Amino acid sequence: MSDVREMPKGGWVLFKESFKRFLSFKLNRMSLGLTVFLLSLALAAPWLAPFPYDQVNPSLGLTAPSWDHLMGTDNAGRDILSRVLIGAQTSLSIGIITVVFGLIIGVFIGALSGYVGGMVDEVIMRIVEVFMSIPGIVMALALVSVLGPSPPFIILALSIRRITQFSRVARGAVLSVKTQDYVTACHAIGMSNMRIVFGHVLPNCIGPIIVLATVLLGNVILTESTLSFLGMGIQEPTPSWGTMIAQGNEFLTFAPWLSIFPGAFLFLTMIAFNLLGDGLRDHLDPRGGSVV
Amino acid sequence: MLTTVLVRRLLFSIPTILGVATLAFILGHLSPGDPAIAAMGLDLEGYSTVEPGELERVREELGLNKPVVVQYVQWLGKAIQGDFGTSYVSSSEVADLVFAALPTTMLLLIMTMSSATVIGIALGIISAVNQGKTGDYIARMIAIIGVSTPTFWFAIILILMFAFVFPIFPVTGSIDEHGFIAMVLPTAAIALHPAALIARMMRSSMLEVLSHDMVRTATAKGLSRWRVFMVHALRNAINPVITVIGFQFANLMGGAVAVEFIFSLPGLGSLLIEGIYEKDILVIQGAVLVIGVAFALSNLLVDVLYMMVDPRIRV
Repeated sequence: MSDVREMPKGGWVLFKESFKRFLSFKLNRMSLGLTVFLLSLALAAPWLAPFPYDQVNPSLGLTAPSWDHLMGTDNAGRDILSRVLIGAQTSLSIGIITVVFGLIIGVFIGALSGYVGGMVDEVIMRIVEVFMSIPGIVMALALVSVLGPSPPFIILALSIRRITQFSRVARGAVLSVKTQDYVTACHAIGMSNMRIVFGHVLPNCIGPIIVLATVLLGNVILTESTLSFLGMGIQEPTPSWGTMIAQGNEFLTFAPWLSIFPGAFLFLTMIAFNLLGDGLRDHLDPRGGSVV
Repeated sequence: MLTTVLVRRLLFSIPTILGVATLAFILGHLSPGDPAIAAMGLDLEGYSTVEPGELERVREELGLNKPVVVQYVQWLGKAIQGDFGTSYVSSSEVADLVFAALPTTMLLLIMTMSSATVIGIALGIISAVNQGKTGDYIARMIAIIGVSTPTFWFAIILILMFAFVFPIFPVTGSIDEHGFIAMVLPTAAIALHPAALIARMMRSSMLEVLSHDMVRTATAKGLSRWRVFMVHALRNAINPVITVIGFQFANLMGGAVAVEFIFSLPGLGSLLIEGIYEKDILVIQGAVLVIGVAFALSNLLVDVLYMMVDPRIRV
């Protein structure tokens, strides 16, 4: 704060201003554009896909990319492009649901932990540390193998680590604003603790949380793909990029397009979310370092 | 003094390790199916064919009819002594399997970490020193691509490139079969992501230090550019980078799981995945436990390293 007389701005106003500044950079506009493009591809996938994703055509098995099949076909003669598009829908929806789920629970736990402090905080943070000690993919693999690879369990397995990550960031953010004057003021006018945390403290911590959500979205999609690649994620016949890359792995030497195209889309998605996360971090969370 | 801090830090990691063990135990109890049935080598269909008395006897033998808390304490007691039970599937000692797999994974992680550190720091310095110039632009491009490339996909691309198109390296296999060369592609596959992360951290940390007065003083003293960057700036910029490197363990282990599987390296990751395919819960439990404990120990190591690099923290 260079000018002391400047009025301190509240959460949303500050957020909107930062976002405008964010949009004034070309790279940020590009990454946002790419993200929106991928999201709309996923949304419109059923209409965009030139063939039904599960249409088997043995006579067309493993055909190279051509005008009819822009990305070629797999061993069962299914159109790769259609499967990549529907796969985008699978990956993005699992990613978004997981992150939203992790965000709601994680932010709640973290905010509570940071605001209440003391013993509660100590215990919660110890538990969080335990969960952070096991790599995301190992945790997810172990849980899915025990619970079974159905989408709800996959989402649950993926979100446990996100819950701990969100709770850490939310806790830190709450701790940093908790001692500010306006919180004391809220107390003085007799506001309930719940209302202070969720109505006043959290909206002021929105920046770091949004940044984390963006970065984690890319991360979850990657973990889901890895799970599916290892056969413990989305199951056939629903297409998922990870499963497609795994299937293509068998035909790698003579039909590399099976693995290359879904992988390229996964890579593009990761680029989009990473760049977006970087840009958002610069503008919304200036203090924040790397979280993942 | 250092010893006191070290001992305190060591004590601090005990709750985490205990927590990881508890988690591994819960994992075993979440798994559907009756461990007694599994221990007898039968699947769920075999359930009806077992005599009730026989089932009771096996339960008794495995201690499955005791209260969960008792089972937990007994399991923990054994696990601390390095006894993770006998696999129901392969009927070999889980501890033997885990400790046989550990060296491969450790070698892989050490190789990955050292190459990622060297490449990452170099790339970050190149980037920072040439800020805004072509060198910076290229280095940052490499870093963002590195961060965004899915490890398992990159592994496949590497196989395609260097085992089929240019057959320089073996596709799969352990060190025993091919020697050291078997580790090159897996290392490259896992190292890309951490190298890129380290490069990004190094760049921003270095840029911050370069704006300090002491850098200007060093330059004004007439020191060479090389000396200013590599001695004065680097020493001050390296701490946040060490933190990032330390936090890479979980990331690396995650990458190692898929990469070991792809290259059929007989490490912890392959063991875990085989355990999952075979529904061998004790193997899964053992692998998760060892990975979690290794993480806690690596955090400890990072703290010690940090204390050695930055004497200010020792107090």
